[in-house]
Amino acid sequence: MESFLASTTAFQAQVYRALPETERSEAIVNRISKAIALGLLKVGERLPPETALSEMFGVAPSTLREALSDLRDQGIVATRRGRSGGTFVVKQPFTSADVIKKWFQDTSIAEIRDLGDEHAAIAAATVRLACERAEPHEINRLLELARSVVMTDKSELQARADSRFHIELAVLAQSPRLTNAEIRLQAETVQALWAPVSLTRDPEQVAAEHLALARAIANDAPEDAQRLVLEHIRHDVHHLVDAKLSLGYPTYQQERP
Amino acid sequence: MTTTTPATKAAKEIAAWTNALGLDVDKFASRTAALWTNHHSPFSVTPRDVGQLESMSKDFLETHSFVVGAGVIFSADAIENRDGVLEWWIRRGEGIEKLEFDLTPGGERFYDYQNMPFFTSASRTGERSMWGPYVDYLGLDEYILTYTAPIHVGGEFAGVAGCDIRIRKLEEIFMPALRAIPGDAALLNGSNRVVVGNSGAYLVGERIRHIPGDKQLLPVEVEHLGLSLLSGS
Repeated sequence: MESFLASTTAFQAQVYRALPETERSEAIVNRISKAIALGLLKVGERLPPETALSEMFGVAPSTLREALSDLRDQGIVATRRGRSGGTFVVKQPFTSADVIKKWFQDTSIAEIRDLGDEHAAIAAATVRLACERAEPHEINRLLELARSVVMTDKSELQARADSRFHIELAVLAQSPRLTNAEIRLQAETVQALWAPVSLTRDPEQVAAEHLALARAIANDAPEDAQRLVLEHIRHDVHHLVDAKLSLGYPTYQQERP
Repeated sequence: MTTTTPATKAAKEIAAWTNALGLDVDKFASRTAALWTNHHSPFSVTPRDVGQLESMSKDFLETHSFVVGAGVIFSADAIENRDGVLEWWIRRGEGIEKLEFDLTPGGERFYDYQNMPFFTSASRTGERSMWGPYVDYLGLDEYILTYTAPIHVGGEFAGVAGCDIRIRKLEEIFMPALRAIPGDAALLNGSNRVVVGNSGAYLVGERIRHIPGDKQLLPVEVEHLGLSLLSGS
């Protein structure tokens, strides 16, 4: 212990200083919000009891209570009393326009393309399996979900409808793992696709692409389904890159030798 | 004519197991319906009723160790209250816990139970039904099979009572019977989807669209479910 302290400068010691309780509380809020956004904790799910939580996070009970009260104020969790009481997740945290703008700034074109690559790999296999495994009566729900992005003007609902359609493809593929992968990929990109911070995706075009894809699955045409889903994801990637660039590209000072 | 082969024997064993569970699900449904004897739709589900449903579901989970969830789903038209339509309990640790669903149409995680096949089929036919294997996204979020029986109140369809079984558990339950069959064999659901196969040849979740020439389909005699056994002829 002493040797570590001896080898750190005064400035470095600042980095490693014990976290004040307020920062710990914020860290807990961030950790839980992110877990909900990524679908690791679902709406309706009950969090472990407070004593267990403060033990797991390694914080004082008062710090934990502060974090929970913050989450309650944001409407993300609610606490119910009684025998079947506890703290429950009640809402997905809302992603602010600032957070999305920051995502566009912090995410490079290479990273956007790479996200698209992963999505394409997952989606291509998913739609082929969906063709093979979906039953005719399950297609009706898919067709309904395909159209649902045009049923609303609110970007949050458009984002939800878009991701719901893609997740349903994985459900039809009968694969819990592909479903989880799709949920994770949707959580990473869907808000950026629909948030009105930059150029917006055209819902009519998205619905048309979803419908064509759903029809290919209904017709049991795996080649068409795969081609259509890859085109669809390429359009998403183009849109994200254009949206990023339209927010302006920060210019860096050239390093001089 | 009716010679016993390993396949017919397996079909009988699977049918016996499934029928026994079906009778229990029926009993569960009539016990719940008895809460509203002499009532007609729309009836109300009181907090006291919910307490009774909880203890019945708990009973069902306790007496069927392979079941992961059990409960009751009411038809929205049959009851007066808007909430309390989906009373479903799952195992959690030593005890049970109510599964919370988003029942608001258009909600973030809306669970459209009235369009789920285990509900629509029981509602349409008034008989027991089985749905799965399926990924229960927004429900249990697991790969399961759901077995339900209709609840009738005042002679009318009011909902279903039933249970969920994890596919990995069904695999353990049916594998001994299936492994006794020489060659590739599989239990298929009413839509010819593989529930459990005895080899890599037929994988769970796959749909069998054409029966290969060297195979046959034996009925697994469970009323209303349409189960069959695919095996060498």
